[in-house]
Amino acid sequence: MASSGEQQHGGGHHAGMWVFPVAERVTAEVTGRTFAFPSGYKLALGVAGILTVLGVIGFIIKLTSSGFGSPGPWGYYAGIFSFIFMATGAAPLVAVAFRFTKSHWRRPLSRVSELFALVGVVNVILFIPLMLALPPILNPAAQGTELEVRRTLWFEVPIGAPHWWDFLGLVGLAVCSLAILWLSAMPDMAQARSSATGFRRALYGLLAGSWYGSKRQWIHQKAGLAMLGAFYFMLLVFVQFVFITEYAMSMVPGWKDSVLPPMYTVMSFQTALSLILVIMFVMRRWGGYAEYIGVSPFWSASKILLGLTLLWTYHLFAFFITYWYGRLEFEQNIIRYLFTEPYLVLFLGNFLFSFVTPFLLLIWNPLRKSDWGPTLAGCFALLGAFLFNIRTFTAAFNTGDHYEFALSRVPAAVLPDFGDILIILGGLGLAALVYLLAAKLIPNMSIWEVKEGAKYQKMDTLMKADYLVLAKPE
Amino acid sequence: MQEGRTLSTREINRDLLRSILESPRWFWPVVTVLGIILLVAAIAIGIMVNRGLGVTGLNRPVAWGFFITNFVFWIGISHAGVMLSAILRLAKAEWRRPATRAAEVLTLFSLMTAMIMPIVHTGRPWRILYWVFPYDFARGIWPNIRTPLVWDPSAILTYLTSSTLFVIIALIPDFAVLRDHTTGVAHRVYTLLAMGWEGNARQWKLQITAGVLLSALILPVFVSVHSIVSWDFGMAVAVKTWHSTVFAPYFVVGAVHSGVSAVAFVLILLRWCYGWQDYIRHEHIDALGRLLIVVATGWFYFLIMELLFGMYGREADELAVRGLQFTQWPYNAWFIVFVVTTYFIPVILWLSRAWRRNLWIMSIACISVNIGMWLERFLIIVPGLVNKQVFSFTWADYAPSPFEIIIVGATFALVTMLMLLFSRVFPLVPLYDVKEGDILKTEVKVGRRTVPATFRED
Repeated sequence: MASSGEQQHGGGHHAGMWVFPVAERVTAEVTGRTFAFPSGYKLALGVAGILTVLGVIGFIIKLTSSGFGSPGPWGYYAGIFSFIFMATGAAPLVAVAFRFTKSHWRRPLSRVSELFALVGVVNVILFIPLMLALPPILNPAAQGTELEVRRTLWFEVPIGAPHWWDFLGLVGLAVCSLAILWLSAMPDMAQARSSATGFRRALYGLLAGSWYGSKRQWIHQKAGLAMLGAFYFMLLVFVQFVFITEYAMSMVPGWKDSVLPPMYTVMSFQTALSLILVIMFVMRRWGGYAEYIGVSPFWSASKILLGLTLLWTYHLFAFFITYWYGRLEFEQNIIRYLFTEPYLVLFLGNFLFSFVTPFLLLIWNPLRKSDWGPTLAGCFALLGAFLFNIRTFTAAFNTGDHYEFALSRVPAAVLPDFGDILIILGGLGLAALVYLLAAKLIPNMSIWEVKEGAKYQKMDTLMKADYLVLAKPE
Repeated sequence: MQEGRTLSTREINRDLLRSILESPRWFWPVVTVLGIILLVAAIAIGIMVNRGLGVTGLNRPVAWGFFITNFVFWIGISHAGVMLSAILRLAKAEWRRPATRAAEVLTLFSLMTAMIMPIVHTGRPWRILYWVFPYDFARGIWPNIRTPLVWDPSAILTYLTSSTLFVIIALIPDFAVLRDHTTGVAHRVYTLLAMGWEGNARQWKLQITAGVLLSALILPVFVSVHSIVSWDFGMAVAVKTWHSTVFAPYFVVGAVHSGVSAVAFVLILLRWCYGWQDYIRHEHIDALGRLLIVVATGWFYFLIMELLFGMYGREADELAVRGLQFTQWPYNAWFIVFVVTTYFIPVILWLSRAWRRNLWIMSIACISVNIGMWLERFLIIVPGLVNKQVFSFTWADYAPSPFEIIIVGATFALVTMLMLLFSRVFPLVPLYDVKEGDILKTEVKVGRRTVPATFRED
């Protein structure tokens, strides 16, 4: 428990900004909360479970009614997969990145972010139907002509491309993020195994069996986290690049957009950070973690979120102006198709929620210095990302002839059917269900990092005013 | 972090004003040599103006060569100022303090130098006036406001204005210190420049607020400048390899890469020249090195996007330019040198902490980056133009003439000379920033260890 004095929390305009957990109590309190099952949590679990079941029903409806003969019916499935992958795939990176920059404020959010490793396994499973829905690179109807292949990253069509390479990438991401989670949670599980009971005791004993907290082990753990983090970052960027190119760009004839993969990656960072802010807000307000999560992580993350919001818009503008100014007919058709005609409403919603609202909220200082301000901006950003993915993938999967050299007409928009709606709900439900279960399996706050942070910060006086003092040991 | 000793105000004033109050023995000989180089370049420009662009290697269809390459290069260098100063100031990175002023000043001088290049490139510099003041409406000599070639000067001039303001605002407290340490004419000039600065709480508050506001406002300008420079190329659908959506971020990241490398090198030079070992410390160069690993890797990612998507379309004329870049002499050799010097050599050197703290190695890495980044611009501009297109009735390869080489070489002398002259009249390391950093330093006891710590400003 944190000490309750005003001085400890920062006085004056610093009030509530920082929290000062007592290192000796962190393990017992965090594990106690992890093992508890409050009614609100049970309700969330139930809702997520019901949504998952609906999703399975939707999938069966889609499979029986459409099959995998053509990609069109799977556009919404691809959209919801991409949204989940975008948010949850990049989520473990949040811990990695801010650990790398040695930001103290990251400590309470590290585990929140790393727990998404378990959702990575869901991503792998959800990806399998997409492998079946993607049309082959070789055009079966036009061998020996100019249109014998559709545009693709895999120029000479190596064995298994693109399906199996994408699949391997996703598996690699899942394995790597699980390794990060395991390595990061090992000290916590070693501490918690004495107080855990039942299957958790066995699990912690198994996963943290050899951890004694020697200096050598700490050095290895930190080096391992750094190396795995760097590898995960590179692999994620690569997989995102392949996925957005292969499952969106190459499906639209003539869409050659070198800024799309960076834009997708930037948006994934924005979405992941937003998701983590929302979870932290829930934990702080209703999860009993107010003594561990101050306003400071929201304040610091909000600046990053603002930067990412601007960066996404900049990439979008770089694409738009190049195509718009070029005045090439097929490029104009692509703009009309994806932005200004059939999917205009989705695009406007995407732009409003991914840029306008987060930007207007986050440039306001008092709002950034609250816990709800950045969270609200994050909610909007999540909604914007959802619309982006639905728009992009539904449009890409429904362009008609994917082997054309350029888009010569503007196809109509495709609205979701009943199965699509169930699939969307189910996808979200499944991701939430797995995360909720993961949060009860492993301590959902990085105990060792919080304890470490408690030693490196204090309030002190400088020229008659109180300030936070942060130690930088390395 | 936080190496080096804490210095008294008197020591800081004495050390950092040394470049102004004393004249090192090497100073005027170096300035003279640089001046001679500039004189030679001025003569070359004079001959070129007199005889026309025929003395250069420019021809049809390669109308843009060394001068435009150099223009893009110096615009790129100018990005360091804002990158280091504004972003690190907003992020409250402690290690920024000694680096900000040199970065900002480098921005100013590289921008000025960059602006000279298109003027020289016209061959008839006075014709710029036609563009500024369209004197003859009947002949239709109006600037086309829909072209990036018009957006360019607008963005650059905005950037120059805001950067100048940025530097001046940050200089005011230091002007006051100079006012108090000088006599005679110098004293009167610094008094004027200090604008009545007394260092009271209200003045500090205003100065800090202005700095933060300018930092935030200048960032979009900084991004817009190189984006628009990239669109000079990206908007041209006729020249293959130029019409690429990734150009704007690719150019901006590249500019930051070359600019921050240039600042790191300038800081190392300042440390050597003026003996500022207590201010520009290994930890600062180390931090720049770490930042550069991230920037370089980001840049490399954009390079891969640019190259891959160039080939992704499988368009014959685009593949022909790529073939020129990758396989034909001398562009293939330059391409290898470009990639190796811009990414592989420096990043390998920066990965080692010991090498990041070795000033010789850091200098080599930073120079290597800038050699590569110059080549990058050359390889974007020239092969696209050299490639014969459908309706080209005449075409030729491009080789720079001695005139171009002299003029381009002299721009490096110009920036160096301007930096040196600036250091004679204004401090290149901000005094007040360094003093503030020292005040905020403290320590925290963790177990039996005393760990360096900092008072947070918010």
